[in-house]
Order: sequence, then C-alpha cells, then structure tokens
Amino acid sequence: MNIDLTFIGQIVVFVTMVWVLKSLLYTPINDAMASRTKKIEDGLAAANAGVEAEALAKAEAEAAIAAAKNQAQDIVAAAERRAAEVKEESVIRARKEAEAIVDAGKEELGAEVIRARQELRQEVATIAIAAAEKIIDAELDATRHNHLIDEAIATGLATA
Amino acid sequence: MQIHLDTMLVTLVVASLMIGFSLWLRGKIIAGAPTGAQNAVEALIGFVNDTVRDNFPVHNPIIAPLALTIFTFIFLCNSIDLLPAYLLGHTAHLFGIEHFRPVPTNDLNLPVAMALTVFGMVLYYEFKLKPGHFMKELLLQPFASLLLDSKNPLVKFLGVLLIPLNFTLKLIEEIAKPLSLSFRLFGNMFAGEVIFLLIAMLLLADSSEQLASFGGIASELIGIMVGVGWSLFHMFIGLLQAFIFMILSVVYLSIAHQPAEH
Repeated sequence: MNIDLTFIGQIVVFVTMVWVLKSLLYTPINDAMASRTKKIEDGLAAANAGVEAEALAKAEAEAAIAAAKNQAQDIVAAAERRAAEVKEESVIRARKEAEAIVDAGKEELGAEVIRARQELRQEVATIAIAAAEKIIDAELDATRHNHLIDEAIATGLATA
Repeated sequence: MQIHLDTMLVTLVVASLMIGFSLWLRGKIIAGAPTGAQNAVEALIGFVNDTVRDNFPVHNPIIAPLALTIFTFIFLCNSIDLLPAYLLGHTAHLFGIEHFRPVPTNDLNLPVAMALTVFGMVLYYEFKLKPGHFMKELLLQPFASLLLDSKNPLVKFLGVLLIPLNFTLKLIEEIAKPLSLSFRLFGNMFAGEVIFLLIAMLLLADSSEQLASFGGIASELIGIMVGVGWSLFHMFIGLLQAFIFMILSVVYLSIAHQPAEH
C-alpha cells in the first residue's frame, strides 16, 4: 500500500476521462437539455399568446354580436315606426276617401234634386200646356191665359 | 517504481465502459422527449448542474463535467465491491495474476490521484483569478496582517518574523484538503472491502461434512444474511462517498473562484 507509478497512471486516466466525458457525454446532453428547455419555453409562450388571442377574438365576437343586436333592434324599431306611419296614413286616406265618397254622394244628390226639379218643372209645364190647350180650346184668349198660367206656375214653384 | 496492474486494469475497463456508453448514447441523443438511458443521464447531469450552480459564483464550463466524471467514475469503481468478494480475484488467479484486488478505490493511488488533480486545479485557479490575494493569505494569515499594519516598527518586525509560521499553518490547512478528500474515500472503501472479506470467511468450510453440520448450516445462513445486509449498506456508502468526493471538489474549487474580499 504505497504511492507509486499507479498514481501517475490514475491521474492520466482521470484527466482523460474528464475530457472525454465532457466532449462525448456532458456537452451533447447538456445542449439537448438546453434546446429542449428553450423549446418548452417557446411552446408555453406560444400557448399563452394563443390564449390571449382567443380571449381577444372572443371579446371581438361579443362586441360584434352586441352591435348586431343593437342594429337589429334599430331595424325593428324603424319597422314598427314605419308600420305605424303606414297604418296612420291608410287610416287618413280611408277617411279622406270616405269623405270624398260622401261629398260625391252629396253632390250627386244635389244634382239629382236639381234634375228632378227641372223634370218636375217641365212636367208641370207640359201639364200646364195641356191644360192651357184645353183652356184655349175652351176660351181662345191664349195670350192672357198663358200669362195667367206662368203666374200660376211661378207661385206653384215658389211653394213647392 | 512499481505499478498496480489490478487497479490500472479495472480502472481502464470502467473507463472504457463509460466511453463506450457515451459513444453508444451520443448517436441517440434527441432534443425532444428523452427516453431510457438518456433520461437517466439527463437526471444525473441535471443534478450535477444544480449542485455546481448552487455553489459557484461564476460560470466555469469545466466544473460540471469534472463533477460528473468524479461522481460517476468513483461510483462505478465503488460498485465493483458488490460483486462476490473473491470472484474477480480468483478469476485473475486463473490467469496467473497473484493478489488481485478488484476495487480500484481501495488502492490509495486512485483517491490520491483524483484529490491531487482537484487540488492542482484549486491552486491553478487561486493563482490565476486572484494571485495577490492568495499570496497574501498564504504568507500573512492568520497572525501577520494585523502586526504589519501597525505603525510601530518593532511590531512590524515581529510580523515579518511570523511569516514562516503563517506559511506552515496555511500549508497544513491547504494540504489537509486533498488529504482528507482522498483518505475519506480510501478508508471507507477499504473498510467495506475488509468487512466483505470477513463476511466471506463465515462461508468458508474445510470439508463437506463440516458444511452439512448444524454449525456449518447456521454459519452459512448467517453469512448470507449478513452479506446481503452489508451489500445493501455498502452500495449506499459507495454512492455517498462518490457524492461527498464530488461535492467537496466543487466546494474547494468554488472557494478558489470566490472573489477576493479585501
């Protein structure tokens, strides 16, 4: 049990082993571990970015839906307003038409009354003429009698 | 000068196995999800990296591979102890080699070689990183620095006189590091091996009648039980000593890397 040449040999073996293991085992594995760590970190960062993007998209979608709802409500309100207007317009128009019909009816009635009066007047005239003819047949003073007849018609019409 | 062929042979076999394993693994290293052997080696390297990072104030790329080599190499050498006590010795005997001692860490040369290599690195970094500070510490600690700061010339002269004493004390302090490092490993492994041989003697019998007797059978049973127990315990000791050697090397080197305080 003493220190001898083995000591030198062991130093050589040890130093060689440190060098060999460093280049063959430690460095490649360490590099692989480091690159994996980086990859995992990148992946986590990407996942976080994805989550954020999803939240953003969700918020945007919600905003779009809210805007669409508002728009729809506006459209419905406008449609309701328009319907009310249309209803009112049609009511007014119908009323006007009714009034026009009534007016036309009244005018027609007036015209009818006038026509009836004229017919009546002519009939009366005809009757009067017939009567006059008969009177003429009886008394041949046509001129005086016609004057009397006209007077009688005028008074008759005024009372009619 | 003589050379211990058994130590050299076993060390070279262990080293070749480690190199072969490294070469075999190197072709299969992937940066993706690791499997099998790469997993185990990565756990080991991660552990060594953590240990070095916890102790070192600065980054030195050689420390972690050094610690890894110390740990794995010593652990593998210690593990040879778990083979049956006389197996390798008797096998070697068949090839005409007398007095074959299989465990290289039982040979003082290996622990001393590793400890002195580490010690050499400590001295190298001490002189490289803070030469003035280390020389001052070597010559003026623990007694002289206060005396030399004094205005009184007589006290100052006393301080100069004390320099050899300081140097001796510091030398003992520094030499104690590799000495304790190597002797701790050697002592533990040597004692373990001796106990293995003693346990193996329980199993020895002169003849088949003796082996078949009640005492023989009891001795065999006790021997096997104690042998299994000691194997388990010694496996733990081998791991522990490898770890202690590694962590103390890292600590000594980290002390050399500490920035000078004054």
